[in-house]
Amino acid sequence: MACPRQPGVQSGLRVVSLVPSVTEIVYAVGAGKVLVGNTNQCDFPEAAKGVYKVGDFMSPDLERIIALRPGLVFLALPIHRQLLEKLNEMKIPVYASRPADIRAVFNEIDTVARLLGRPASGESLVAAMRQRLDSVPAFADTPRVYVEISGTPLMTAGGGTFINELLERAGGRNVFAKSVQEYPVVDPEALLAADPQAILLLHPDMRAPDVARRIGWGGIDAVRQGRVYDQLDEDLFFRPGPRIVEGVVLLAKLLHPGQTGNSEE
Amino acid sequence: MVNSERGTRTPVHRNARVVPSWVGLILLFISAAALSVAVGPGGLAGTRLGAVMNLRLLRLALGIIAGGVLAVVGASLQGLLQNPLADPFTMGVASGAALGASLTVVLGRSAGAFAPLGGFAGALVTMLVVYALARVRGRVTVTGLVLAGVIMSFLLSSLVMLAMILGRRTLGEAVYMMMGHLGTVFTGTTVWLFGAVVVLSVIGCGWLFSMSRSLDVMSSGEEAAETLGVDTQHVTRAVFVVSSLLVGMVVSFTGAISFIGLVVPHLVRMLFGPAHRRVIPGSFVAGAGILLLSDVLARNIVPGGLPLSIVTALVGVPFFIYLLRSRL
Amino acid sequence: MKAIELSGLAFGYGERLLFDGFNLEVAAGEFLGVIGPNGAGKSTLLKLAAGLLRPARGSVCILERELRAIGRAEAARTIGVVLQENPFAFDYTVADVVMMGRNPYLGRFQSPGKQDRKVVEGALEFVDALFLRDERINGISAGERQRVVLARALAQEPKILLLDEATSHLDIAHQQMIARILIELNRQGRTVVLLSHDLNLAALYCSRILLLDKGRAAACDVPERVITGELIRSVYGIEPIVIRHPETGRPQVMQSKG
Repeated sequence: MACPRQPGVQSGLRVVSLVPSVTEIVYAVGAGKVLVGNTNQCDFPEAAKGVYKVGDFMSPDLERIIALRPGLVFLALPIHRQLLEKLNEMKIPVYASRPADIRAVFNEIDTVARLLGRPASGESLVAAMRQRLDSVPAFADTPRVYVEISGTPLMTAGGGTFINELLERAGGRNVFAKSVQEYPVVDPEALLAADPQAILLLHPDMRAPDVARRIGWGGIDAVRQGRVYDQLDEDLFFRPGPRIVEGVVLLAKLLHPGQTGNSEE
Repeated sequence: MVNSERGTRTPVHRNARVVPSWVGLILLFISAAALSVAVGPGGLAGTRLGAVMNLRLLRLALGIIAGGVLAVVGASLQGLLQNPLADPFTMGVASGAALGASLTVVLGRSAGAFAPLGGFAGALVTMLVVYALARVRGRVTVTGLVLAGVIMSFLLSSLVMLAMILGRRTLGEAVYMMMGHLGTVFTGTTVWLFGAVVVLSVIGCGWLFSMSRSLDVMSSGEEAAETLGVDTQHVTRAVFVVSSLLVGMVVSFTGAISFIGLVVPHLVRMLFGPAHRRVIPGSFVAGAGILLLSDVLARNIVPGGLPLSIVTALVGVPFFIYLLRSRL
Repeated sequence: MKAIELSGLAFGYGERLLFDGFNLEVAAGEFLGVIGPNGAGKSTLLKLAAGLLRPARGSVCILERELRAIGRAEAARTIGVVLQENPFAFDYTVADVVMMGRNPYLGRFQSPGKQDRKVVEGALEFVDALFLRDERINGISAGERQRVVLARALAQEPKILLLDEATSHLDIAHQQMIARILIELNRQGRTVVLLSHDLNLAALYCSRILLLDKGRAAACDVPERVITGELIRSVYGIEPIVIRHPETGRPQVMQSKG
């Protein structure tokens, strides 16, 4: 994580966020009004949609960013590496986001909050998130889970990924945690051998009944028990931002029905 | 009479090699098929046996058709285009299939038969566009098809990436779709669809085989072929259409598996000589065998598996080098 | 019997017409030489006669039948063509290549039979290339390759032979060899049309010469009346010295020093 060049804040700060998760943090700490530009993919909360778009998360437009005369730019590594170098050359202050796990997300919220002059909001947000996280009990059982990221071809998330950590926090075990690749293509046979007890469909083009129709999948525990979960909000699991804990809570509810002890059913 | 040229070279007697080469290819095919069914990450434990066997047999069928068709189409296109570097994806059809499949994902309905049908539709449209682009004053030249195909390939590949971005999918998916795999999930409907693909593939490859002599003649140039009685317009159009449809069908199930269509025909030519009546059937058997072998390796060497296209390259190259050296 | 008749032929690449109202008659059994500067249209004329190009206007008749009406296969059994460039993308054997000349006689699912093999061997023997039959086409010399391609045309058992520059890449010994082969073929009754840059070769061997200049016939007559100082001068723009060949008396062109 790179440090910004000018810590502290000035009134009238103009901020451009190139990272959807950081955009969420900005609004969550109540600093939404300093945002003068974000990407097409920054769509939460609602207010973020109305902000001037400087392009896609994958390839933002440097000219548009500069035209906004920003006092601080949030970007992500390694995808925005070249942009980072150019902004350094132009002496525009930059903060690079690269959170590897939940703890790093908490740190990032603190850092961003301080950069925007709202350290107290940051702290209370993190405290609330920690509390919510702690409300997820340690479960006695850890069901085997298969996370499906894509159906054509079948793709899952390996051990080093964010979603994997969320899964573990929620008391589940990723059957492909030992995979060499980060997002490996799934061999259906390996899945049969792993016999997951729950299946999470993290892509909207497939529904639970479609999974049951797959040849050879009928014998899988999760399919037999009807524990295939679809239509999940992927942003809860893939965006390392304030809603990440909601992702954990949701997973915990799905994986341990009736055990979470929360009245929000 | 000029005598100085005689007796300075040893002629190559290919006929002596044909039978042992066929035996070798068939053995390769059978052992690859056997391995493919016997070995896999699923294990053969009791209750799962039936399901695992189902998956393996489907995968075997898919591998045979994909490997065979891609190699046969590669061989045919190399002859038609008079270009040893042509492969089944030169005409841009594979990128079209990838675009069609990724659109079904992005539009939210890719389950069951939608993905392969979408892929095939993409391939079909691409074929028509490439054909239209290549037509000049009612005639289609081989060069025109290649140029149009390559351009469409680039265009469509970028569109696939664009579709994935707009649809908020990870780019990894797009890459895998274009890299090819044999792990297609089958449902009841898609098995029937695949059955149709098997039948059509056999017919299509058989048709290409029947064009062997015309392809031989065409590989010496369109004009020469025309003077030797070949209807080059008809052959060009027909081979293009049949190849595109075959590739479209395969790619909509497996994505673009690279290397097989390009190199297997050359391996086979080294064994049998360039005559298509031997190269086409030989390519089918060799393509299927090498692809199945690569898939067995890709699935079992490392937990989680390796991408198929990487392994096809790693398996094919040593074969190639061995044959190259044994000739010298 | 007219072997080839071109009447009122019009053809051009793009906007301008190269040939406009072109006429030519080649009698059966003739040995016609076609000469002319680069761009005069020699190759184009050959392709029009062979049916590789379609004229914008006019007709091409082969053995007194419209070429358009003759099917492709029959045309290939009648006209043998040897083009200037013969690239082979794959390494067929010489025997394979010459067997391709039998294509117009073989049905789609038919394999070559004994008769076909006999014709192929005969063709190879005629051009003295039988010893090459198992060699790869890309592994032989230019002279041998030229003979092989000629053998392929002969395997078509054609009544008419059209050759575009059969000798330009060859040394003098091979040039002579090819020329002798062509003369023998002509003696056997085949009509031969030879396009050549080599005026002397054409003058020495052909019964008639067509001198082409930018799509029109500057002259079409016996060599004595075509290879003249003033015609060469007017078409090629050089000052030639025309002498008589010591053996045959045919006109030969020498370059003046300048």
